[in-house]
Amino acid sequence: MRYISVIVAVLVLAILDVSCSDESKDHNAAQENFDALWRIIDEHYCFFDHKDVNWDEVRQRYRSKIAPDMTSRELFDLCGDMLKELCDGHTNLIAAHDVSRYWIWEKYPKNYDDRLVDEHYLNFDYKRSSGIKYQILQDNIGYMYYGSFSNGIGKGNLDIIFAYLATADGLIIDVRSNGGGLLTNVHTLVERFVEERTLVGYISHKTGPGHNDFSEPYPYYIEPSASHIHYLKPVVVLCNRGSFSATNNFVSIMKSLPGVTVVGDVTGGGCGLPFTSEMPNGWNVRFSASPIYDRDMNLTEFGVEPDIRVDQTDADTQRHHDTLLDTAITLLTTH
Amino acid sequence: MAAVVAAMAFCSLPLAAQDSGEDDVARPVDAMFSLDVGQARVKDTYLTPITYSGTHLRLEYSAMQATGFSPEKWVRHLEVGAEYDNVENLAHNNTMHSVMAGGRWSLMRRWRFDRGLQLMAGGMVTARGGAIYNGSNSNNICSVKVHAGVGVAGAAVLPVHMGRLPVTLSWQVNIPVVGAFYSPDYDESYYEIYVGNHSGLVHPAWWGNRFEANSMLGADLHLGNTILRVGYRLHQESSHINNLDTRLSSHSLVLGLGGEFLNVGRRGTPSRTVSAMY
Repeated sequence: MRYISVIVAVLVLAILDVSCSDESKDHNAAQENFDALWRIIDEHYCFFDHKDVNWDEVRQRYRSKIAPDMTSRELFDLCGDMLKELCDGHTNLIAAHDVSRYWIWEKYPKNYDDRLVDEHYLNFDYKRSSGIKYQILQDNIGYMYYGSFSNGIGKGNLDIIFAYLATADGLIIDVRSNGGGLLTNVHTLVERFVEERTLVGYISHKTGPGHNDFSEPYPYYIEPSASHIHYLKPVVVLCNRGSFSATNNFVSIMKSLPGVTVVGDVTGGGCGLPFTSEMPNGWNVRFSASPIYDRDMNLTEFGVEPDIRVDQTDADTQRHHDTLLDTAITLLTTH
Repeated sequence: MAAVVAAMAFCSLPLAAQDSGEDDVARPVDAMFSLDVGQARVKDTYLTPITYSGTHLRLEYSAMQATGFSPEKWVRHLEVGAEYDNVENLAHNNTMHSVMAGGRWSLMRRWRFDRGLQLMAGGMVTARGGAIYNGSNSNNICSVKVHAGVGVAGAAVLPVHMGRLPVTLSWQVNIPVVGAFYSPDYDESYYEIYVGNHSGLVHPAWWGNRFEANSMLGADLHLGNTILRVGYRLHQESSHINNLDTRLSSHSLVLGLGGEFLNVGRRGTPSRTVSAMY
């Protein structure tokens, strides 16, 4: 029995170790949650230097506003306002009742009206595949609208689309108000427009909690899609401020390819790959953690400048014309 | 019941069939299927700084047998298992899922003492892998875990009686010592790995950056030819690499069903039987 006693004693010690928790029981305390949020951003956010934000000063300014009796919604608003100091569309505080956001496109002209395009350019007569709306317009210009990079693109579907558009004299890829999605879908689409392995950008990531702890930027390439249809005629990419995140990345890459012209407004930016973390009270926080550079090592966090900048005019709106789309059609028909 | 025993016998056959030791020694396989039900705690700072806790389930097949060479002194032990943790955060508004699978193979020297006490100690090879999934996250939606290594294994076995019922008490422990394990960098995304950056993903494992210990205390009740195991298992695993901390632990009740199985293809009558455990 002496042996058994020893065994039991060892196991009891082990159980005690498992049961111990170093975390506070008061997971709803305002100050504790504020500090947790501040620390998460402090240790993981990747654009402090790029945006010249003094995060310590931000902490002092907002922490002084915490009141012991503040409600959950008041704390949410305070934390959300603190995050807005980062001016980052990828940075959100997510609670059951609300999502804090800094969506730059809400402050700029929309420059896109889907009803206008559907009715007056496509006559409600278009094909749809893999989340892509496509048709050949009156002037024999191919048109495809991709509304979200979250919609998976099948390679076979793309073959069908490009086979259908092959007879057109040029192609418009409309990614206005496309708020992003999966970067792998950017690869799937871009690989139809490159003829050889092409350097398209660099990616880096935080390697530790320090503001300047970054990995060496890693160059990444896109290979041509083997055994699939490629489109090598002139291409115009249409974008607006709502072209954000993965779409910003798509526009940045397409702009660097020969034969591609970007028309519209500056894109919405968002070149930091977002990660998500969590506060003790269960609120999620999303933030930019991994910067993606273009092929010239520029950050496009504040957007990609188009080759031809165009805004929708009031006159065109009144006569049911899409100024940006008209510009693209003119560019391709006079090429 | 018959199906379970047949399945166990089937699983034990390959282990027995590969023996090439002394013909007159029967070396039964002590096979056991077990189900663990308990509590898990999961902390992985790649996913969240919060420790989650919840339910732990594990299915395991274990086979222990005296070796072909020097069966009185050496025992080998195979354990393969799969486990699932369903854990919740402090605020009870998010759930993570952890799925792991792995196996261990140990070779242990044994010493016999008074009252039938056996102590065993030796080495083991182990491999374990899986993922922790947090559906609320964005580009850090899961944390992949892969580890392979060598370590130490030990066991203590003591036969006792509860009234007229023979019971075998055992304590089994194994601890990986060195090996290799997978971990992304601090805020490295799987997208970056997808585009080709595979550097720095595999790390040498030692007690300075990764520690794992498994122990099981069991009481095997001999109900005729069937053995019912009731026990307690403790698993602890922690790592610190690339400024990322992982701490997984579980403790659970073990319920198992098994028995001793001999190779049915065996020829001749053995002069003696050397069991691994019983």
